[in-house]
Amino acid sequence: MVRGEIPWDLRRRGPKDAQRHEARVREAIRKNLRHLIVEETIISSRGDRKVRVPVRYLDQYRFRYGRQVTEGAGHGPGEPGDIIARRGGQGSGGFAPGDAPGEDVYEAEVEVDDLVELMLEDLNLPRLAPAEAGGIDAEEIRFDDVRRRGLMNNLDKRRTLLQNVKRHAAKGEARIGAFDDSDLRFRVWNVRERPRARAAVYMLMDRSASMTTEKRYIAKSFYFWLTRFLRCKYREVDLVFISHDVEAQVVSEQEFFTVSSSGGTRCSSAYWLALRHIREYHPAAKWSNYAFHFSDGENLAADNERCGELVRQLLDVCRMVGYGEIRYGGWGSFYGSGGKEPRRPQSGLHAALARLEHPNLLLVCIDSRDEIYSALRAFLAQEQ
Amino acid sequence: MISPRIREVLKIGRDLGLDFYDLVFEVIPWDVMNEIAAYGLPIRAHHWSYGRVYQRQRVHGRMGLSKIYEIVLNNDPAYAFLLDTNTEVENLLIVAHVAAHADFFKNNACFEGTNRNMVNEAAAHAVRIEQYKEEYGIERVERLMDAAFALERHVDPYKGLYREEYPKRTVEVREAVVDEYADLTVEGRPFSQVKQVKGGKIPAHPERDLLWFLARYAPLDEWERDVLEIVREEAYYFFPQFNSKILNEGWASYWHAEIISQYPGMTPREMIDFSVLHGNVVQPGHPLQVNPYYLGYKILVDVKKRWDRMHARGESRLDGTEKLFEIRTSEDDFSFLRNYLTPGLVKELGLFAYGPACSCPPHTPRPCPRCGDVAIRSRDVDAVVEAILKPRYNYGAPKVVVTDTAGGVLRLEHDEPGTVLDREYAEKTLAYIHELWKAPVQLITANERGERMEYWCDEKGARVTLRAGTGARRG
Repeated sequence: MVRGEIPWDLRRRGPKDAQRHEARVREAIRKNLRHLIVEETIISSRGDRKVRVPVRYLDQYRFRYGRQVTEGAGHGPGEPGDIIARRGGQGSGGFAPGDAPGEDVYEAEVEVDDLVELMLEDLNLPRLAPAEAGGIDAEEIRFDDVRRRGLMNNLDKRRTLLQNVKRHAAKGEARIGAFDDSDLRFRVWNVRERPRARAAVYMLMDRSASMTTEKRYIAKSFYFWLTRFLRCKYREVDLVFISHDVEAQVVSEQEFFTVSSSGGTRCSSAYWLALRHIREYHPAAKWSNYAFHFSDGENLAADNERCGELVRQLLDVCRMVGYGEIRYGGWGSFYGSGGKEPRRPQSGLHAALARLEHPNLLLVCIDSRDEIYSALRAFLAQEQ
Repeated sequence: MISPRIREVLKIGRDLGLDFYDLVFEVIPWDVMNEIAAYGLPIRAHHWSYGRVYQRQRVHGRMGLSKIYEIVLNNDPAYAFLLDTNTEVENLLIVAHVAAHADFFKNNACFEGTNRNMVNEAAAHAVRIEQYKEEYGIERVERLMDAAFALERHVDPYKGLYREEYPKRTVEVREAVVDEYADLTVEGRPFSQVKQVKGGKIPAHPERDLLWFLARYAPLDEWERDVLEIVREEAYYFFPQFNSKILNEGWASYWHAEIISQYPGMTPREMIDFSVLHGNVVQPGHPLQVNPYYLGYKILVDVKKRWDRMHARGESRLDGTEKLFEIRTSEDDFSFLRNYLTPGLVKELGLFAYGPACSCPPHTPRPCPRCGDVAIRSRDVDAVVEAILKPRYNYGAPKVVVTDTAGGVLRLEHDEPGTVLDREYAEKTLAYIHELWKAPVQLITANERGERMEYWCDEKGARVTLRAGTGARRG
C-alpha cells in the first residue's frame, strides 16, 4: 500500500468544464431569447438585478427510450395488484427518482442587464444627437494625476511606500521607514468637462378597456425591456411614462407597470400631453427625444385625424416616434379566435399615422408575445 | 495521515484470500471527490458534459443529498480516494471495501481485457484531444465529441476492442457433389463447380458497435477517427463495471464486513460505529428501488450459508467461501442474479416487480382511475430478476444496429418489440451520425402500436423526416 502524493487540487478540470457547460447554456439562452423575453418571472422581477431563469441541463442526445412507463423492482409488503405509489407521488414514498439525464432543471442566475445585453447589444437609440450638439456639458471630477503635494486625505500610500524604498535603495539600504516629505505622493483630481448626450424617452400606453390582460402584457413587456435597455446603455436618459384612456396622465414607473384597464380610448390625449411635456421639459434644441406608443388601435374614430396632426408635431420635436399596434387575438378577441383568423385590417389610427409618411415615424404591428423581440429590434436597430 | 491500522486491515484481507493490485490511497477534499466521480477517471479530456455532471453533483452535495465516501479505480496499481473528512472508522471500512473491489477488478472474468493502465491512458487521451482542439478549433472537436458521446454505449464488448475489418469480397470455387451415383454411368460427371461469393457486404452481419463501424467505415480524417476511438476505448473500459455493479458492490460489502469483524484492533466503541456504517451501506433503500449494495450483499451471504451447509453434508466439493470466490471469478450481474437469487431470498427480502396499475396506453386521452398509479406486478423470482436486469441490458441503451450500407445509405435498425425510441433524441442522434457518415442515414423502428416507422436524415442539411409505413414489422 502506498500513500499517494499527487496534488489533485492542482489538476482541477471540473470548474473549467462546468464553465464550458455554462457557456453552452448561455448560448442556448441566447437562441431562446424570443421566448425568454416574455417569461413572466423576469418581467415581474422589477427592481432585482438578478433573475433566476429555470434552465434545463443541456441535453446530451443519444438513442433512448421514449414514453417510459414506471416499472422496475422494489421491496416491501403487499400483494400483486396492490397499488404502491399514486400519481403525483402520494402513497408509499412516491415515484422513484429517475436518473435519466436532461430531465432536471437547475436555476441559472442571470443578471437582467446581461440578458438585455445578450438581446440588444447591437441596438441603439436611433439618430441620437452627437453629444456636443446637445450643448449640455457636465463637470466631472477625476482622480487621474499624482503630485508631491496634496491633501493628506488623498495620500497615495502605495506610491509613497515605493518612493521610500527607492530612496533607501539609492543609498544602498534595503529597508522601509524613516519617511520624509520627499517620499509623499498624493492623488489629485482634475476637473473635466464632459459633454453628454441627453435623451428623453416618452412611453405612452393605452390602458383602455379594450386592452386585454394579454395585450397589456405585451405592451408592458416591451416597455420593461426598453427601460432596462435604456438604463443599461445610456447614463443619462429621462424616462417619461404616460398612460391614457380618454385622458392622459404622466405616471410613475411603478404605476405605469401596474395599471389595470378601464374606460374608452382617445389617443390624442396622450400625444398632446407628451407634446406639452416635451416643450416644457425637454426642448428639442437640447434633448434627443423619443416617443413610443402602444395601443390596440381601437381609438375613437373621430379622434384619428387629430392624432395624425399631433404626431406630426411630435415628429418635429422627436428624433423618432414609434407606434406599436397590438393585434393579438385577431378581430374578435370576444370570440377567442387565437389569431388564426385572417389578419385583422389595420385600424383607423394606424392608417392615419401611415398617411404621414415621415421617415422618423415607425409603425409596427404585434400579433403575439413572440413578436415583442422583433418589435424591439425594429424600433432600435434603425440606421443612424 | 494514514493510520498503521489500515495496513493491518489490508493484511487481513490478503490472509482471507483477497488478491488485489497494490493500492494507492489519495486523501482528497470533498470537491475533488465530486470531480473525480463526475469524470470517472482523474484526468479525462475536457468536455462540457463532465462539467454538467460535476455541477449537478456539487449542487446535490451542498444540499446534503449525497456524499461520496470513496472511489476506487480499476487500474494497476488501483487508485483509491478517501474523503479528507472521513473518520478513522469510516476509513477502515472503506479500505477493506476498496481492497475487495480491487480484488474483483483483478480476478473477475469480465474485467480480463480491461486496460489496467487506464489512469495514464486517459490522461494521454486528454493530451491528444487538447492538441486537436489547438489544431482544429474547440467547436469542431467538441461537436465531434458530442457525436461520439451520443454513441458511446453502442459498442460491442464481446467483439473486443481491436477488431479486424469485415472480410473483403472473394469468390471461392468449390466442387460440389451433384449425384452420388453419377460415376456409375459413362457420361456422368460426379462433381460440378460451384462459385461461392464470400464477404464484401458491409456490414457482414448486423453491427452493434456503431462507434467502431463509423470510425472504420465513415469518411473521416485520421484525427476524427482517433477521437471516436478514444471515446470507444473509454466506454469499453467502463462496460464491465456497468455490467457487474450488483455483484461487485455485494462482494465489497461482504468483505468489508468480514475483514473488520476479524480485525482485533477495533475498540467496542468503534465496532458500534462500524456496525452503524455497515448498516447504512447495505440498507434496503427506497421501496421502489433495489440498492445494489444490499441485494448483492444479501445474495452472497445466502450463498455462503447454503454452500457451507451443502459442503458439511458432502453435497458440494466447495465450501461457502470457495463458492463465493468462484462466483467472483466467473459471474456478471446477469448470471449472478439468475443463478443465485432464489425464490426463498426474494421472499425474505420482500422483493417484487412493479409496473403501471392499468393497461391503458401512456398519455391516453381518457385515463382510467388507476392510470398513473403504480402497482406490484409479481413476486415471482423470474419477474423480479428481469425487472432488475431490464435497465442493464445492452449497456443501458436501446439496441440499434447497422444492417446495410447499400447505395451509400447507412441503414440502422432498432428492433426491440414493446419499446419506442424517444423521437426528438433519435432525430438529434441521427443528425450526429449523418455528420460522420456524410450520406443519408435511415433508421427503421416501430411506433407504439408496433407499426414500422422510418427516420430519414438527408444529406441536404440535417433535416429529419418521418415516414410511417403500414407494412408489418420485420423479424
